[in-house]
Amino acid sequence: MKRYSRELTVAIALSALLVWLAIFAPHFFQPQPLLARLTAQVPVLVLTIGMSVVIISRQIDISVGSQFGVCAVVAGLTSAAGAPLSLALIAATLTGTAMGALNGFLVAWLGLPSIVVSLATMVTWAEVLRLFQQGRFINLPAGVQWFGFSQFVGQASLLFFALGLLGAMAYFLKNRTGGRHFYAVGSDSEAARLAGINPKGVTMLSFVLMGTLTGLAAFCNMVQSPQVDPKCGVGLEMKAIAAAVVGGIAVTGGRGGLWGAFFGLLLLATINPALTYMHIDAYWEKAIQGLVILLAVIADGLRTKRSAA
Amino acid sequence: MNALPAPTKRHWVRHETLLLLMLFAETTYFFYFARNFGTADNISNIVRHSAEMGLLALAMMPVILTGGIDLSVGSLMGLCAVIFGVLTHDWHWTTLQAVAATLLAGLFAGGFNAALIAFLRLPPLIVTLGTFSLYRGLAEATTQGTKIYRSFDPDFLNLGDQHFFALPIQAWIFALGALFFWVLVHRTTLGRSFRAIGFSPEGTLYAGIPVERRTAMPYVLAGLTAAIAALLFTARLHQARADAGTGYELAAITAVVLGGTSIFGGIGSVHGTLFGIAAIAVLNNGIARVPGVLKAGVGGELASMLTGALLLIALAAPILTRFITRGRATQT
Amino acid sequence: MKRSQFIPALLALPFTLLMSCEKSSAPVGADHPKAAKKLTIAFLPKSKGNSYFIACEKGAREAVQELGAELLFDGPTNTDPAKQNEIVENWMTLGVDVIAVACENREGIAGPLKRAQEKGIKIVTFDSDTTPDARSFFVNQATPQGIGEALMDEAARLCAEEGEFAIITATLTAANMNEWRKFIEARLAERYPKMKLIDTKPCDDQKDKAQAETTNLISANPNLKCIMAICSPAVPGAAEAVKQAGKAGIVKVVGLGLPSENKAYLKDGVTQSVILWRVADLGYLTIQAAYAVGTGALEVGSKSIHAGKLGEIQIDGTSIILGKPFVFTKDNVDQFDF
Repeated sequence: MKRYSRELTVAIALSALLVWLAIFAPHFFQPQPLLARLTAQVPVLVLTIGMSVVIISRQIDISVGSQFGVCAVVAGLTSAAGAPLSLALIAATLTGTAMGALNGFLVAWLGLPSIVVSLATMVTWAEVLRLFQQGRFINLPAGVQWFGFSQFVGQASLLFFALGLLGAMAYFLKNRTGGRHFYAVGSDSEAARLAGINPKGVTMLSFVLMGTLTGLAAFCNMVQSPQVDPKCGVGLEMKAIAAAVVGGIAVTGGRGGLWGAFFGLLLLATINPALTYMHIDAYWEKAIQGLVILLAVIADGLRTKRSAA
Repeated sequence: MNALPAPTKRHWVRHETLLLLMLFAETTYFFYFARNFGTADNISNIVRHSAEMGLLALAMMPVILTGGIDLSVGSLMGLCAVIFGVLTHDWHWTTLQAVAATLLAGLFAGGFNAALIAFLRLPPLIVTLGTFSLYRGLAEATTQGTKIYRSFDPDFLNLGDQHFFALPIQAWIFALGALFFWVLVHRTTLGRSFRAIGFSPEGTLYAGIPVERRTAMPYVLAGLTAAIAALLFTARLHQARADAGTGYELAAITAVVLGGTSIFGGIGSVHGTLFGIAAIAVLNNGIARVPGVLKAGVGGELASMLTGALLLIALAAPILTRFITRGRATQT
Repeated sequence: MKRSQFIPALLALPFTLLMSCEKSSAPVGADHPKAAKKLTIAFLPKSKGNSYFIACEKGAREAVQELGAELLFDGPTNTDPAKQNEIVENWMTLGVDVIAVACENREGIAGPLKRAQEKGIKIVTFDSDTTPDARSFFVNQATPQGIGEALMDEAARLCAEEGEFAIITATLTAANMNEWRKFIEARLAERYPKMKLIDTKPCDDQKDKAQAETTNLISANPNLKCIMAICSPAVPGAAEAVKQAGKAGIVKVVGLGLPSENKAYLKDGVTQSVILWRVADLGYLTIQAAYAVGTGALEVGSKSIHAGKLGEIQIDGTSIILGKPFVFTKDNVDQFDF
């Protein structure tokens, strides 16, 4: 029971918010906007999965927002050139993987701190993208949005895909040896090495996975709209990190799970629409987001202090 | 255990030498090739434009030295600027009272970070990520995003535009800040304890140092410094705005890390940070003046990218040298 | 042991050399900044990497080519509110002849511009003005008042002057958009008593966030009749949300944006009107005016300016008027290529 206490806290907070909305703002649960809101979170969820793995391995990647923008533009240009969607998907994931591998190489093999490496790659990719695309939207051909199917089918398939990915990754991390390696390296890399795990390889893998998922997320974002906005990735890294952390994944590595991150994401993603539905002015949004993060981490701190005492 | 400090020390001395060389090369290059780089007016620009970021970097240095980080300083600048605006305009306080209250607010906000990090033992990255959002949010909520405070006491605005003994006033304030942090880190037992905490908090505790209080102090100072930076920023722009200091936290962290302070704590020097600040400030100003860059109009983008590259090179260089020297040692 | 200290220095060397090789191919103008005797015009947009100002720059470059002047183009790459001031101050020490600026912050930038004027640099503003005493001329495609009123009038027309509407803006602190919002609200109070502004949401200049906010606004406010998107990425974002909600034509979309980004939505009847001017012409006219001011051909008091391919352009006081904003609808959007 205690192992899941953080997941439980976040899930309870989320349920409380939802119940409150159900009573005071029932419009919140209208099917169309609800579905649209959930689908819009699919790219962030895919990123959060990757970010969780990176944080569990005791690293961090703040370049994913910039990477996301680059991947989105690559996918967009591929599609706009008339290539089939599968090719756009491959192009986006390969681009993401390559950028992730660069981070991974610098962190795992050169031993540079990941926050600094990804800070440097963050500004670099953002500027490259700005110079290359100059903020111009890419208009996509018909047949890209919702894979060419109806809106409902498109939304449903994206949601199924994202939940499937979440379930599979959660199972893999929790129950398979390969998944436990991330935890082992994250909690004590030296001990992991002595236990026969290759910490460099595992760290590298976490960044490569992050990059691949970033490409995938950018693709999931592209198919929701007939245009690609080159600024679509700005600030996404903060959303993914906040979701993981509110969901109980420890920045000190080795602790937390994907379901917690999932609930964390849902909680944070519900706050903004809740303000609109409760007719609270938008300028409170950032303050409330900050408070939620602080409350989550304070709750954590008090619990560990109590259990230590 | 005995072997640890010695190579580390050599390591960071080497880093700062390297950085100073880079800074020298950079400045010389700009001096000869960048249009009107070395003029007195331009040098005054460099100082005025980077004084706030530089002060934040100076305050960030001890934070990182203890193994922490403070992402909230940029947002706190916005909050302090708004508080100053509210006090002078809506509450009709005198400038001096408002300045004092703003500094207090900075101390208090820094203290809030410190309390959560040092006494509740929460991870600094997450706490300050939370207050990064919270402080900016409070600033936006107070002004409802739209309100901008204008027209201040002309004496106060002189802080932003005027010179004192041939140097911009910001230069003097920055120099005082640099002196303060240099003495604090390198010449006091407090400074030594920051370094010790960064190396090993447990070990420091067993050595009889009050780790909690000593960990708290850099965050409180960072809060105070953010308030000072907010005042300078307000004076320079002639406006108090909720979006003051947007993105400054990352610039400050970049300067500190470029200056050779280890992001894991325990290693670093204030003079290194000063070189780091200077390297970034000079790059930002100079690169946009190089004729080719000027013509292409890519100064802003190139400055960011080169800062990123500089950061990676500065960090990777000692590691690569270690690889090379170790390789040579095994060969012979 | 000492030798190893040279290795970092060696590593740094190629980097610095690389930098110098790359750029020293350009003419070295360190000692003679004005050796070419070309008029140097510095062109400062509100932000870089923004399709609106890229279109402006295109027009500006065309004019520079015709006039044989030198164009410097630089602008903020982030949302630091002090950045435009810093660029102006750096240009002052760089030695430019004319600065043409689209002001993000009307009062904030006036100080540096006045100091530049004291140094003999001529100032022309375009897109959005500073205080009149800090510049010679303002190339006026539309005043904040003009934009605000055009948007409000168009929204009122679409809603038959009654009902609820909401605004999507870039950020809550964007100075120029707050200026527009002020005039939108003034017009609303003055002319349209039966209309009600129910909410204003920021979209951080991102299409996806504009879409999410619009989705919520539509469902939280069942009586919403119109979305007014006042930053360019918000217009297609709002339109996509309306389309996905199946409310095309029921919830009207009006905004400020580029025709190329909104063509499909206009044709589908999701977006009703997009308001903008000929952006490239704005850049072109700005450079023509800057050149004329820089060479002394245009002085305060002139009644008109000959602006190359645009012909004679009228001057009203110190405003050079490009013309009123266009309203793009599905009928005329095909005629425009920006």
